[in-house]
Amino acid sequence: MSLISPLALLAAAIVGPIIVAMYLLKLRREERPVSSTFLWRKMVRDVEANAPWQKLRRSLLLLLQLLLMLLLVLALARPFFQTQGISGRNLIIILDHSASMGASDDSPSRLEAAKAKAIQLIDQLPDGGRATIIAAGGAMQVPAAATSDRRELRRAIDAIQIGNGGGSDLAQPLTLASALAAREEDSEVAIISDGNVGIPSAIRVPARVSYFPIGRDSENLAVSAISLQPNKSNTSQTLFVQVTNYGQAAATRRLDIYLDGAIFNAYNLSLAPDPTRGQSIVAEIPPQVRVVEARLDGTDALAADDRAFAVSTLGNVLNVRLISPGNRFLETGLALLPGVSVTKPISGTSTFTETATQIPVTIIDGPTPATLPPGNLLFVGPIRSTDYFSVTGEIEFPSLRPVGGDDPGLRQILDNVSLSEVSVLKTARITLGNWARVVVDSDGAPLLAVGERDGRRVAVLAFDLHNSDLPLQVAFPLLLSNLMGYLAPGSGAEAAQLLPSQPLALQVDASISEVRVTRPDGTVASSRDGGVQIRDGQAIYADTDALGVYTLEEFRDGEVQAAHRYAVNLFAPKESAITAQRDLTVPQTSGAQSTISRTRDGRQEFWRWLALAALVVLVIEWLVYQRNGLAYLRQRWRERRSAAPTR
Amino acid sequence: MTTEPLLESSFIRKLDRLSILTRRAMAGDLQGERRSPRRGSSVEFADFRPYASGDDIRQIDWNLYARAERFYLKLFVAEEELSVHLLVDTSASMDWGEPNKLRYAKRLAGAFGYIALSNLDRVSASAFGTGPHAVSLPSVRGKRGAMPLFSFLQRLTPGKGGDLAKTCRTYVQTARTPGPLLLCSDLLDAGWKDALAAFSARPFEVTVMHILAPQEIAPELAGDFKLMDVEGGEPVEISADIGLIQRYRESLASWREEIERFCNGRGMSYLAVDTSVPVDEFVLSQLRKRGVLR
Repeated sequence: MSLISPLALLAAAIVGPIIVAMYLLKLRREERPVSSTFLWRKMVRDVEANAPWQKLRRSLLLLLQLLLMLLLVLALARPFFQTQGISGRNLIIILDHSASMGASDDSPSRLEAAKAKAIQLIDQLPDGGRATIIAAGGAMQVPAAATSDRRELRRAIDAIQIGNGGGSDLAQPLTLASALAAREEDSEVAIISDGNVGIPSAIRVPARVSYFPIGRDSENLAVSAISLQPNKSNTSQTLFVQVTNYGQAAATRRLDIYLDGAIFNAYNLSLAPDPTRGQSIVAEIPPQVRVVEARLDGTDALAADDRAFAVSTLGNVLNVRLISPGNRFLETGLALLPGVSVTKPISGTSTFTETATQIPVTIIDGPTPATLPPGNLLFVGPIRSTDYFSVTGEIEFPSLRPVGGDDPGLRQILDNVSLSEVSVLKTARITLGNWARVVVDSDGAPLLAVGERDGRRVAVLAFDLHNSDLPLQVAFPLLLSNLMGYLAPGSGAEAAQLLPSQPLALQVDASISEVRVTRPDGTVASSRDGGVQIRDGQAIYADTDALGVYTLEEFRDGEVQAAHRYAVNLFAPKESAITAQRDLTVPQTSGAQSTISRTRDGRQEFWRWLALAALVVLVIEWLVYQRNGLAYLRQRWRERRSAAPTR
Repeated sequence: MTTEPLLESSFIRKLDRLSILTRRAMAGDLQGERRSPRRGSSVEFADFRPYASGDDIRQIDWNLYARAERFYLKLFVAEEELSVHLLVDTSASMDWGEPNKLRYAKRLAGAFGYIALSNLDRVSASAFGTGPHAVSLPSVRGKRGAMPLFSFLQRLTPGKGGDLAKTCRTYVQTARTPGPLLLCSDLLDAGWKDALAAFSARPFEVTVMHILAPQEIAPELAGDFKLMDVEGGEPVEISADIGLIQRYRESLASWREEIERFCNGRGMSYLAVDTSVPVDEFVLSQLRKRGVLR
């Protein structure tokens, strides 16, 4: 404990003697003549039996006044504790609210501890200092921007909730913080997190960065994958569950499998601490089961990843129209996909009566029909130009190179697909509009591109399958499956699994009047009140941060037409690995890399408490001074109470 | 000196109807209107007694002689005056309080003396408190004596205070005829017990008027005080709060109770007097109620 203005203590040296002197002066009692002190002497003799207490009582007021003065003088001296804290006047707090912050190793949770820390930092802010709160993890939020209103800051901090989706990448928040810090002198960035965050190396933060680590536990088991696939024969389903130990010690837990809410089986798992290798369980599940829940018995630090859900896609049939002069590879590939039914119109037909809802996907292999069918389209080895692209020539022996970078929409297309072994004899040279995004190209010429235009999804595979060894490789059915997943969102086993905050999208017919989504906690969002949006024949529900099973129902004239289930699971190894990091490496313009504070320059002042104590002492002193009146009031009250029953 | 008359004339007229009650017959010096323990001449028969030579032959009951053939004297109850003693404490402690205790005592003594005088009793008044000996009024008798009595009382000035017990003892020894004795004092003296006990030595019929001012009965003090004794006693330092005042009142009550017990044990009447009660009201109603006056 130190003092900011120790000179204030001198006041005690001045005021203290004054109070004592006044008290000594006051001791000269007022003289009052009485007829005789005979009676008083008699009484005082009785009283003097407990004289020490009497003396103390007489000087009680003096003691209280001295205490009051001491408290006030101490408060004036502004004492403080040295803490790790902040010193800047423009504070930017990056508060991690990703799923791993939901761990309960800091009571009640890491997030609450982080909020408390943030409020403590706000309290340390010097007068006139401003603060910005950035909630990192998932979509970045800025609940309070450059304000000195501490009430608003507190409210903003209190309102931060756990965000399950989106991981915890600090690139965006740090960029924003850098921009804010660069604008003002004396800025400081405080990162309150458990340290399981991604930090870009390219950034240079033009301010001091302090890191306040939260959390201490590292043991966590998670259901890292779950899948429920209908068998080919549609008579049973296969459940696949993977449990991973993200901690540092081996652990034994029981995994309970619930089918539609009823316990089905339990497995005792012994897991070695290895975040890359989980233990898997495969089980046959009866076909009528709709929802499977895998639950790890017992508790660990992070509860969110102890449960996972899978919904049955049995009976969900995706109708695909195949317009082809005959392509055995495609037919075989499509037949391998579960839940896909292929219809082949008579060749040469150019009138399509089925709507996009009935047949959502059309594969056009080779020659293009005169009119394009409704719904989403996959062009394979187009021969001539269409509305979407133009064919300008041919390329021989193209080299396949995946592009697309980090876009999750494009990554989804090449998920698990390896193109390194694939060779192509020749391909069409295609020029695309700016709607398309290239997934695979060869020296600037697109080989595989996807995109959205006119409210439909279009994918173009530039080469004829017969001119390639792709169909002979494992990559082909996977690519086909991924493309189907892209072209027909909301269908198939993959589509029924969502990550938190991933929007839930489903093609709906124009005749559907209402779409309702029942959330895991039982609340219902409807398209009528704007909770669910219907746009371009697609129902979109975005608020999927809570984990569990969502049920989407389509209504026409008040009757349920179809119901779809979606499972939202926290499958995020980065979040499940909850080991708290003691240091973060954040490059700063000062050259520092580490964020561990070497100096304890935070000042926790507590003169307010002293002032409060002084106020209490003042009240006590006044009560002691007025004890006569209080005793009188008490006596009156007693008299009235004893008089009341007789009346 | 106050020019105010000691007693108002309307009050004096009311006093005319009262007389002092005595619990037993008391002897006096001259013939009066009170029954005396002695035999004397009145209309009330008392007793017979055999004739002895020297007796007044006018008192022989001849009817009895006719029957018994022996001489008997017929005796009558003697009616004599009472000798009423008024004792006023004029110590400094009495000259205190609002209403003033000394003036109250004077008025009380005046009223009492007037009642006695109007019943042809002998009244002697004494003031003590100034020294070892009392300042006395030679005894007066009859309504004629009212003026000297009143002026004597009016002239009394507060003294310094002295030994109450010693003064009382001296008075008891020097008084000629014992009779009803009215003691007006605040008894604020350590020797009050000895003072009262002194009266038991002769057959006085003592009535103690214990006069206290309302400021003594319920002092209104709050704060730290040094209490100065007007009689020059030791000063007392107090920190007055409601608890202390409460204890003072309890102590006062127990002291009064103690005096009353002491008086009852010696056949004295004890009356606690609060000077806030007007004298006339006190005399006309309270004293009659207590059987001191009729």
